[in-house]
Amino acid sequence: MASHTCKTFLSLGRINVPGLGLQKTASRAAYATGLPVNTSAGNKGLPDRSGRGSSVRKPKRDVGEPRTKKMPVDQDWTAVYPAATPFRQDSIPLPVRMGYPVKGGVPPEKKGNLELIKIPNFLHLTPAAIKKHCEALKPMCTEWPSTLDTDAKCDEHFPIKAESTDYVSAGPSVRNPSARIVHLKVKLSSLNLDEHARKKMLKLVGERYSKDTDILTITTDSCPLRQQNYDYAMYLLTVLYHESWKTEAWEAEKTVADMEEYSWEDSPSQRNILDVLVRMKVVGEGEGQDVREQLLGRKEVQEYKDSVTRLKNEGESEDAMLQYKEAVKKVFNL
Amino acid sequence: MALHRLSFRLRQTATYVRSLHTSGCGQQQAAVAVESESETFSVCRAQENDPACQSEKHLGQYYTLPSAHVRTLFPHGLPWRYQQQVKTFNEACMMVRSPALEVISCLKKTDTSKPAVRYLFYGLKGSGKTISLCHAVHFCYTQGWLVLHIPDAHIWVKNCKELLPSSYNTSRFDQPLQATEWLRNFKVTNEHFLSKIKTKQRYVWTKRESTEEGSALGELVDQGITRVKSSSDVVGAVMKELRLQSGQPESNFRLAVAVDGVNALWGRSTIKKEDKSAVDPEELTLVYNLKKLMKNDWTGGAIITTLSQTGSLYTSKSAYLPHELLGEKGFDKMDPFIPVSVPNYSEKEFESCYLYYMDRHWLQHPQSHTEEGKKELVFLSNRNPSMLERICGSL
Repeated sequence: MASHTCKTFLSLGRINVPGLGLQKTASRAAYATGLPVNTSAGNKGLPDRSGRGSSVRKPKRDVGEPRTKKMPVDQDWTAVYPAATPFRQDSIPLPVRMGYPVKGGVPPEKKGNLELIKIPNFLHLTPAAIKKHCEALKPMCTEWPSTLDTDAKCDEHFPIKAESTDYVSAGPSVRNPSARIVHLKVKLSSLNLDEHARKKMLKLVGERYSKDTDILTITTDSCPLRQQNYDYAMYLLTVLYHESWKTEAWEAEKTVADMEEYSWEDSPSQRNILDVLVRMKVVGEGEGQDVREQLLGRKEVQEYKDSVTRLKNEGESEDAMLQYKEAVKKVFNL
Repeated sequence: MALHRLSFRLRQTATYVRSLHTSGCGQQQAAVAVESESETFSVCRAQENDPACQSEKHLGQYYTLPSAHVRTLFPHGLPWRYQQQVKTFNEACMMVRSPALEVISCLKKTDTSKPAVRYLFYGLKGSGKTISLCHAVHFCYTQGWLVLHIPDAHIWVKNCKELLPSSYNTSRFDQPLQATEWLRNFKVTNEHFLSKIKTKQRYVWTKRESTEEGSALGELVDQGITRVKSSSDVVGAVMKELRLQSGQPESNFRLAVAVDGVNALWGRSTIKKEDKSAVDPEELTLVYNLKKLMKNDWTGGAIITTLSQTGSLYTSKSAYLPHELLGEKGFDKMDPFIPVSVPNYSEKEFESCYLYYMDRHWLQHPQSHTEEGKKELVFLSNRNPSMLERICGSL
């Protein structure tokens, strides 16, 4: 049934085409050929040469049917457009229109349309063509290792990931300077770093580390070629790792302002609270060190220490302040 | 337009007729009306005017401060808009709210032998921190404490018209105008203490002037008010004396230090030296002496403070938490303190405020008497006390 209807449509198309063609030629004549065609006038102007003029001119060949009429629906399109070629309006069975519309009309048709020929087309890269390409490439590929089936296993065996982009464009040259950029991503937990090395690495690396995902990203684009950038990134990673394990002499001058987190020992907060408690004479008179130990061991002081550390490290919030308030109240026995 | 006016008048007459009807119908109805009025009267007003006797059941209700107290205690302490309100309503009413009650209950339990406890009111802009501070200060006053009230520490670090190098210590700067202003107000607040407290040290002001040991504090204060040049040093001397003497067994007073906008002490200042470099607050005598008072190495009293973003310099408008406004240094110096959060009005408190304004006939707009109007007020002000006050002011 379907095929019948198609055939009828085709026949209709065939019937219509000559009629349309006539109309088309007529309309074409209306705007495309603005110049008056005065061949007869020209001929008349030169009667002497016209003796052999009309017979010497080559007879015009018939245009013939466009290929679109002979195309079956289930044809192999890859045979029609096997490679990148400009737009051929007779080979493409689509009523495509392109260009600025005529006043009160529609964009011009595809027949004789220069706009469609100028633009790049991807008619040679339809899904069927891609499938053929894949089939052709398959014998040259190796299989994915079967044991690396989860992401976690891939991370475990290959912690360093190098990412780069390839660019495809239709233009005079295939080269794209952005293709040289390389991003190297490593998870710091997969590197063997101790506390000091980790802190030093974070300070050396600065913005390139993201705390939420624990990934260090090194982006290189200073060299002109991708391979050079990749080598440079690997070199940077090696140097960072080794430098962070070394301890320099000037690192001993690290001040409180350089510390990443707040530590309560030897902080003004600890001194203040001990001062206050000593003056409140909470514990009996004793040696300075013993009194300190005793005071530090008390539950309220521990709670106070937790609340202050929480306030300073996590930043302020209403419930952190409430916790601090409760701790201070307990210390003062209010 | 005329029709509108006519209808309005008709409506008015209709209401009058209705009220006449009700009063005419029966005394019972009138009695009921009066009772409901007195009920609303008491819902927003507390019967208890003494801060010492206020408790949780007075939460949300307004209590009146006696005008004599207001004149002596708060010559400079109340916020400007509140002062205008006091003048308009002819009475000073404050709402009893939980932050102030908390601090007052802690103050009742203070032990004079222990070091001074520091309280810090913090909260969003306009949520009532200064009023809570004044409430606590009123309590201290009624209990007979000596009140050292600095209404706004920010005025000491900005807009200084006269800056003199200090005579006592050449690296510091004096601010004579602000110091004399403060000394005058201090005198008004604590008249009866000035003759009782004696100085323990001899102070030499110039070659010819000095205050002997054992003279009354009042003399010291007068010295500061009359001799403007040395007023900042007098302020320092007063603070030192009070700090040393409070909590001692022989002195019979307790010291309440109330500072509004305490974050000014550790912030930045806009005062410039002659060479256009900024002055650090540390270098101002007034600020330096006040910081010494903020340290809790003295006994026999309490330090009540508030944070204030409104007058503060170089802080963002949305900052209201202690760390943001005090900074690292300020927090470490104030630590350990009791932070008291002052939130916006709760439902009950908003109701109470609304009823108070109605009672004072402050809301003139006819729609503000309706439920719809009340919901609009809630939405517009977000139950923020100062916003509500500003909106109602135009109604």
